[in-house]
Amino acid sequence: MATELNLEALRDEIDKIDEVIVRLLDSRARCAYTVGRLKHELGRPIYEPAREAAVIAHVRRVSEELGGPLDGDAIARLYERIMDEARRIQRVEAERDAREKKEKE
Amino acid sequence: MVVVMKERASDLEVETVIASLVGMGMDVHRSTGAARIVLGVVGGGKVDPRLIELMAGVHEVLRITQPYKLASRTFKPDDTIITIGDLRIGGDEVIVIAGPCSAESEEQVHATAAAVKRAGAKILRGGAFKPRSSPYSFQGMGEAGLQLLRSGANTYDLKLVTEVMDASQIEVIGKYTDIYQVGARNMQNFTLLRELGRTRKPILLKRGIAATMEEWLLSAEYILAGGNTDVILCERGIRTFETFTRNTLDLSAIPIVKELSHLPIFVDPSHGMGRRDKVAPMARAAVAAGADGLIIEVHNDPDHALSDGAQSMFPAQFDRLMAELRIIAPAIGRSICLEPVARRGWAR
Repeated sequence: MATELNLEALRDEIDKIDEVIVRLLDSRARCAYTVGRLKHELGRPIYEPAREAAVIAHVRRVSEELGGPLDGDAIARLYERIMDEARRIQRVEAERDAREKKEKE
Repeated sequence: MVVVMKERASDLEVETVIASLVGMGMDVHRSTGAARIVLGVVGGGKVDPRLIELMAGVHEVLRITQPYKLASRTFKPDDTIITIGDLRIGGDEVIVIAGPCSAESEEQVHATAAAVKRAGAKILRGGAFKPRSSPYSFQGMGEAGLQLLRSGANTYDLKLVTEVMDASQIEVIGKYTDIYQVGARNMQNFTLLRELGRTRKPILLKRGIAATMEEWLLSAEYILAGGNTDVILCERGIRTFETFTRNTLDLSAIPIVKELSHLPIFVDPSHGMGRRDKVAPMARAAVAAGADGLIIEVHNDPDHALSDGAQSMFPAQFDRLMAELRIIAPAIGRSICLEPVARRGWAR
């Protein structure tokens, strides 16, 4: 019985954490969106491997300092997915922008 | 209202109290307990509790309804959400107001407006008529200052809040502002509050430096009673024995106001602390405690500000604070100053 209650409480906690993670991912995506617009204005490419490597190195360092069950490799794999999505947001928006420009012409 | 009779109150005393309450147009519900008799009093009549308290056999009179009605959550259980254009105050999103203490020059207003917009603020603050503690301090630029603030707000797509000190200024300020601010010193200027109740622009009502929650909500009641339902309460620090900070920022006001009232509550950590290095921690705490918004002083060049330079943040400090707040707000299920992504394409 005690373990059952604990499980419920922990699952509840995970749900709460997920709500925060999703909101933070939303903030991150909005930032990435704005970054995309700036890159577009500056004529820089969407895919900048050096920047992505720096992001991975940064989160790797943070997670290793925390010393939890998610080691550096694990967090790097998660961040690859997150950056895939950020790139996709920037690509979709750039394509829409190009399409709108063409329609105007 | 509840009338608690004395333990040894006679039947005659109880009956006399009931008779006078009924005579005042009230309904009385009598409960006879083991030790004392308690009278529950409801109805539309007017009763002065102090008169009842003086009657023979009465132990005490307890007021159960608050003296403020329109501002109370009992009257309106749902949170008030104030809409200004596409901005919603009091909803899920925490709104940040930022800007200089006073408008000083075109360059200063525009540079500061650009900086706060970039960091994510949604509303520009700034005074044109300044209530200064000393008559020899800078008193503000007047209408010229209002013009500068409006043009700064328009250029950077911000709403504007500015202080009104006197009923005679309502009309001229109304030409420029989106929100009227009533300062702490004017919280109980009832003539001003009544006049603002007749306007139809939101009012940011700061808490007086020595005002209780009840006095503050009663001040809001003056505005609401005039038919203006858009009142934002703003905690800005109260006077205590502590002199290290300018005032003591009373963050407990946030959950208390949330319980007592349906009105949105903002926090002004700049005036409360009076020192820019202490503003960020209190701003973070305010968001964590559930504030609906913040009002923060930011100046493009605080060291040369004509007023309140010591408590104005540098734009870079404000940037950092906003980034921190974007992480804190989600922890309590809220967002803060989001960029409206969907409606804005890259082409524009």
